[in-house]
Amino acid sequence: MTKTLAFVVALAVVFGLSGPAAAQQDTLEKIKSTGVLTIGTRTGSPPFAYINKNNEWVGFSIDLVEQVVKPSVERAVGRSIKVEKKESTPPTRIPLLTSNAVDLIAGTMTDTPQRRESVDFSLTFFYTGAQFLVKKGSPIKSINDIGGKRIAAQQGATNAKILREKYPQAQLREFPDQPAAFQALVQGQVDAYTNDGIQLYGLKAKAPNPDDWEVVGDFFSEEPYGMAMRKGDAKFKAAVDAGLKNAFESGKYFEIYDKWFGPKGELPYPMTAQVRAYLLKQIGK
Amino acid sequence: MAYTFKWSVLWTGESGRWLVQGLLTTLELSALAWLVAVALGILAGALRTVRFTPLRWAATAYVEFFRNVPLLVWMFFWYFGVPPLLPRGVQDWLFNHGAEFWAGMLALGVYHGARISEVIRSGIQSIPRTQFEASLAMGLTTFQAYRLIILPVALRLIVPPATNESLNLLKNSSVALTISVAELTFQTRQIETYTAKAIEALTAGTLIYLVLCLSIATIMARVERHYAIPGLIARVEPAG
Repeated sequence: MTKTLAFVVALAVVFGLSGPAAAQQDTLEKIKSTGVLTIGTRTGSPPFAYINKNNEWVGFSIDLVEQVVKPSVERAVGRSIKVEKKESTPPTRIPLLTSNAVDLIAGTMTDTPQRRESVDFSLTFFYTGAQFLVKKGSPIKSINDIGGKRIAAQQGATNAKILREKYPQAQLREFPDQPAAFQALVQGQVDAYTNDGIQLYGLKAKAPNPDDWEVVGDFFSEEPYGMAMRKGDAKFKAAVDAGLKNAFESGKYFEIYDKWFGPKGELPYPMTAQVRAYLLKQIGK
Repeated sequence: MAYTFKWSVLWTGESGRWLVQGLLTTLELSALAWLVAVALGILAGALRTVRFTPLRWAATAYVEFFRNVPLLVWMFFWYFGVPPLLPRGVQDWLFNHGAEFWAGMLALGVYHGARISEVIRSGIQSIPRTQFEASLAMGLTTFQAYRLIILPVALRLIVPPATNESLNLLKNSSVALTISVAELTFQTRQIETYTAKAIEALTAGTLIYLVLCLSIATIMARVERHYAIPGLIARVEPAG
């Protein structure tokens, strides 16, 4: 009887180790053994994650990982770790996660119900909505003016989806990344470029002549940004969320926000009372 | 924590329609680009073997310039670089009438034309010089000799490498998604956007490319058998 049992257990262990369940390693275990937290982030989305003039890979999302998530993960695994960054774009970020190439997506990813079927999201760390970037003086003032116009969007982004479904009268052109879409706007291939408002402000601020461009229209989508993780890894998610929760409570989050979006920040973008309430509601405040 | 597969995303919702649309765009893009590539390839390949030096140089310059720059750069060149050279009115008209498709088609066709010309040139150069001299002795002009004698033989010799190049062209058409052409790879990414099921979408795309390429390879194998030149060592045995 015991022999049979032992055999069954051994079999289970063997199959367990070679089966897909074990191939999907526990993220905290992996970080503990390698000492590295690998994140997927953007290179051209100021001020969230971008390469700055000094050729450094920086941004608000990256600071949150370095100063908020990393200490929390270090507590969870009981050793010091370092953060490694890899480039991720909307079409590649979920595959990067599921293939274990990265552990955490920390860039500009909107938390949506569809994506939640494939990945888990952390607490929301930024809240914005889609608007349009146009040449100053453009006839496009809001989403009501886009009929027949050529509108660029980033492929894989939520706002492209909304335009296709609800505003088929616009001619949608989708580009794999922001620089190509902006180039198309600069040269007139398209009449407007839609993305999350905050990213458009970022793009405008970094343009050679910021005054030539205008961000117009009300938010036509809701874009709560979260950090994405492999689905069902509760321990890792708890560590990431604990870090963010502490930062909301201690005010560290608002310090970092101020560094990037404050009056003297990279991109002044005062936080509205609504957004503040939305963020704090997540931690029961 | 394990990834859960959900293959039904490929036929529910609009996925099926998107895949068919993407497939049609890929076929249209590749077919037109192939025609451009073959025309340019025959022209440049033939010119690189003629005696008149300026023509040979022109053809060599075309081949070396276009095949030695990455296709992605050519895509950007035709989409972002060329339109500003045109009058504003023409630009606007083009942007409203599928500029990205035509830019992608030209990028693909001109790039592969340079590569196909090398295939054609090697075909031409494998023909004994005496055939060319004999045709001139028969009273043909150089142009007639190429059109009636040299090229028909060369084209029959180069079917295998030309097939290779054509398959490459078909697969390279996916690079056009960088300039917003909604071809097959673009549509598989679209499905990923809507369903967050990347592996399923990529698998569907992979299988469609595979089936397309295998069909072309099969057809070309028949063409090769049909046009094989009797008596040559490389001759493919008739089926059966």
